[in-house]
Amino acid sequence: MGDEILYMLGVIAVGFTVNFGLRALPFVLFGGRDRRIPTWIDRTSGFISPVIIAGLIVYSYSGSAWRTPWPYLAGIVTIALQVWKRNPLVSIVAGTAIYMLLLNCCGCATARTVELDAAHPSVRVSTQGVLFGDEFVEPKDVPEILEDFDVPHERTIHILLDPDVKDLRPARFLMATLSRAGYTRPVLVTKRHAESVNIGKPKKTVYSGSGRQGAASQKRTIRYKKAGE
Amino acid sequence: MKNALENRALFRRAFVDSLPVLMGYSTMGFVAGVLLAAKGNVVLAPIWALLSSALWVTGTMSIAGVQPISERAPLYAFALMTLAVNFRYCLYGFSLLKRWKDVPFLRKCYLILMLTDENYALEASCVIRDPGRNLRYCTCLSVLNHSYWVVGLTVGASVVCLLGLTVDPEAIRRYTNGMEFSMAALFIVILTDQVRGILSHGR
Repeated sequence: MGDEILYMLGVIAVGFTVNFGLRALPFVLFGGRDRRIPTWIDRTSGFISPVIIAGLIVYSYSGSAWRTPWPYLAGIVTIALQVWKRNPLVSIVAGTAIYMLLLNCCGCATARTVELDAAHPSVRVSTQGVLFGDEFVEPKDVPEILEDFDVPHERTIHILLDPDVKDLRPARFLMATLSRAGYTRPVLVTKRHAESVNIGKPKKTVYSGSGRQGAASQKRTIRYKKAGE
Repeated sequence: MKNALENRALFRRAFVDSLPVLMGYSTMGFVAGVLLAAKGNVVLAPIWALLSSALWVTGTMSIAGVQPISERAPLYAFALMTLAVNFRYCLYGFSLLKRWKDVPFLRKCYLILMLTDENYALEASCVIRDPGRNLRYCTCLSVLNHSYWVVGLTVGASVVCLLGLTVDPEAIRRYTNGMEFSMAALFIVILTDQVRGILSHGR
């Protein structure tokens, strides 16, 4: 208990020191009362903040569903409203509302991710048929699905083979289909292999269909929606 | 009397300007607090939520830092991570050097502590010419935004601890899915105004 509290106090102190130190750096360097602010800072300070803010826009876009058109549409609406009405609150609320609406109503297809590591194979061959995530799919459709997720052809594709599968024909057919479609490295793995890889805390590679948004929440139940569904 | 009226007007202006930040900070802070309490593997989570939100005032590390805390990462690793993630903070001060040159030490320290992305963007774009009023506006803005962040995080952590529920951070994220765009929209609006200012100035 004592150690826990000491550790947390240490973390708080370190976080405070680094954050505050970074923020105070310019003031420590050039802020002394008697020290003169260098002219280059004086001359450029008018342009520093627009540049930083432009960077912040890029940074906050990287946290949104930037692969979909929605944040750009919402951004255009925000700019247009701001140019027209000049009321920041209206522009921001409207832009955010439009983004949330687009993302949650039209963006169903955006929250799709697929994992292909040996530890978390998304493609599975069971006695009932071939599953992608937790949906049954036609084996012949698998390459097309992978294509939709932008999975590179040279990527190793792990296919989990259920232990009770006796008939290997669907699995073979799947492998053949994949190689014909240009996926050079499909690999069959068994449950035991997947679990043994899992022990060493594998590095997960997640491919997303068309957006990072909701990637985390979709990891457990991977759903695939065909276009126009 | 006139002074008090003017202060109230300044405060109202700062409050209206901070509303988009209220939207972003309260939800993001709540999620960060829930994350810390539910996934941080710590005792007395609300206290750590309160302290970290009040002293760090950084959204990125409050969320990204939960993982290293839960693994009890060494302090130097935590310091390096903070440095890498929040390096951008050291740029913000440059454009404010001149404006805050004569601000008293402690107040300056507080303003520096509150140089977050959103707060900086609002302060940098503030068009109030009079230095005294500008400073009061910046202080109001800092206090308001600071309070949103601290309350959001502390409430988030307390909800998990007091109710004994395991509030799933994912559930909250799903309900507020997309609300993080208010930050991007805030930056877009500020840049739009700045570009318009530069264009009309150059003419």
